[in-house]
Amino acid sequence: MFKHIIFTFIILSFFFCQLAVAQIASTGFEEENNIYDRVYDAKLSFNSGENRTLAELCSGKPLLLALIFTRCSGICNPFLLQLKENLQFKNNFGEFSILVLSFDPRDTQEDMMQLARWLNLENNKQWLFATTRDIEKLNLSVGFHPTWDSTRSQFDHDALLVGINKEGYITKKLIGLRNQNDLGLLISSVNDVFSPSYRLPGKNLLFSCFNYNPETGKNKPGLGLLFLTLPPVITLLIVFGISYGVRHKQI
Amino acid sequence: MESIKLRKITSLWIITVLALFIANIVLGIVMRLNQGEIIHEQPATFYAHMTTHGLTQIGIWFVAGMAGINYLMERYLKTSYLANVLAMIFTVIGILMLWISTYIGNFHAGWTFLYPLPLKVMWAKWGTPLFLSSILVMGIGWLIWAVSLMTQILKKYPLSKALAWQHFRKNPAIQTPPFILISMITLIGIIACLLGAVLLLAMYAAEYFSNGNFVNDALLMKNLTYFFGHTIANEMLYLGLAIIYELFPEVGGRPKWKTTWYVALAWNCTLVFILTAFFHHLYMDFVQPVGFQIIGQIASYMASLPAASVTIFSVLVAVYRTPIKWSLTNLLFFIGVAGWVIGGLGAVIDVTISNNFILHNTLWVPAHFHTYNALGNVLFSLAFFHWFSIQFSSKGNFEKLTKLKLTLLLIGGIGFLLAFYIGGAESIPRRYSNYPAEFPMAAPLAIAAAVFATIYLVAILIFFFQISKRCLNILFSPSSY
Repeated sequence: MFKHIIFTFIILSFFFCQLAVAQIASTGFEEENNIYDRVYDAKLSFNSGENRTLAELCSGKPLLLALIFTRCSGICNPFLLQLKENLQFKNNFGEFSILVLSFDPRDTQEDMMQLARWLNLENNKQWLFATTRDIEKLNLSVGFHPTWDSTRSQFDHDALLVGINKEGYITKKLIGLRNQNDLGLLISSVNDVFSPSYRLPGKNLLFSCFNYNPETGKNKPGLGLLFLTLPPVITLLIVFGISYGVRHKQI
Repeated sequence: MESIKLRKITSLWIITVLALFIANIVLGIVMRLNQGEIIHEQPATFYAHMTTHGLTQIGIWFVAGMAGINYLMERYLKTSYLANVLAMIFTVIGILMLWISTYIGNFHAGWTFLYPLPLKVMWAKWGTPLFLSSILVMGIGWLIWAVSLMTQILKKYPLSKALAWQHFRKNPAIQTPPFILISMITLIGIIACLLGAVLLLAMYAAEYFSNGNFVNDALLMKNLTYFFGHTIANEMLYLGLAIIYELFPEVGGRPKWKTTWYVALAWNCTLVFILTAFFHHLYMDFVQPVGFQIIGQIASYMASLPAASVTIFSVLVAVYRTPIKWSLTNLLFFIGVAGWVIGGLGAVIDVTISNNFILHNTLWVPAHFHTYNALGNVLFSLAFFHWFSIQFSSKGNFEKLTKLKLTLLLIGGIGFLLAFYIGGAESIPRRYSNYPAEFPMAAPLAIAAAVFATIYLVAILIFFFQISKRCLNILFSPSSY
């Protein structure tokens, strides 16, 4: 009997832990962490042999920082390939650089060079490939937390793209493989261009002035607009009511 | 003629308003000293001062205007003493609740209490309901007062006559005094914005007590907040203008001003435009359709122009090459109109959309509204207070210290306001308790502002002692006086 209780307890604990983790993941707030924080000024080593700090780099042009490791058998390569493809159509968003930075201390400049060659970007001046010894502090400053999985000999990590403006502040983060539209918002943010965002309708939001349709991208007038007209309308009714009342000696 | 009871309650209003005004100026000076790094307060304390200062200021100058028109309206019709007393009771209770919520409950969401700040509780849990209740209590008192005054006007003047529509025709049979026209127009606007406040507070209460089952629309709440806040801040100026139309020619020994077709038209237009001008507060809200923003700009221009141009024209005509009996009352009215116009110009500059991109939420904003209040509306009310207090005093030199008081008011007021304007032109943001190093001019300007505000305070203290002394005599005089 005691064994069954213990077993049930362990199963339930596991279930609730999973549920809690799923809830944390589903909140989607990871992208909001560290926004408008200053990114750690890490010393970077580039393929060319040049050494510069992150602050020096972004003071010239805003940066899109992609954190990867070259031995990744998972998301890193598809992530970089999609980023490269999407950016081919994003030349009209102002100037910016893409810094591909390894978070794996094992990666060398040669590894990064090889990655650049594989992506056919070794001669593209907009793309920079680098390593750093300050990766832990940098990871902390951008809210990136890769964990080492010794069984697979791989890092368990997000595909993270961080937007950093010329002043070295994190303006926006994108996690996962994202579409061109999201990338456009990220590029706007590093160039200090305002990007509108809309709250989606919810069941507990009854009196919106406008209802945004994410499919059409259009706003439709909502019940809230009627509320705005209430005070003047009631005032008019009061004025006419009193006027009528005093004329007919009812007040 | 007005009753003795009305004299007494008006005296009580005047003493209350002036006492609270002095306390409020001190709060303002403390805030500027903190921004100037002369004293060091916790940010929460600074914002508690800001919340108290803003709302008390709106409250006291609104009731000052209402007390003024209530008193003068007795020349034309009988007003309700009960409504006046109720408003006093509700105002005092409301102000006490407000100060308790900010200084004991530490509520500090700012006088505009923009959604969702009051619901993000960073103070005593009871602070939010007490703060919102304080506005409700004051709002109900003022609503009763405004509806009561409007009812009395409508008992004597039919609606069309109260709005002076007969003046659109030639040779109207009945004259609507400008004082009645402006009071009526203003009272309608006041009732509308107070109803807006009631709706706003109901929405807050719904969310507060719903345990997350109901969430407000931020855009609706902001629209309602400014429908109430912007409108009442402007309507209280119009209360002061009604008093000017009534007293300025009389005190100067000139014939009373009459309503003409253009005066009637200007004020009727003002009623419409003032209720839609608040949209200019939402320029930065991209979800608001562009059409609303354009209405905001046009209505802001139109709201200021008719009333302002007609009033300026009337005042200038009254004094230009005309033998006029100048007194402290008249001088305060005249300087007040100038302050109102300068502040109004500052406002029109800010409501122009292209300018607002630069001036939005900079010190330009407090610059303009402090101009038409500290050197506009306050002077209108001080003029009325002075005039009222000397009506029932038989002895003494009533023009004593006039030059000193006006000099201190002007030097203090202009210096204090210049610090705001220069700060605005330098893009120094408003509502900062402490300025970062990126704004090197902010702290010196704040210190200068505190010094000039202290000079202004000295002038107000002299006014307070002189006027309050006479008002206390009225208040404690025997009923047969």
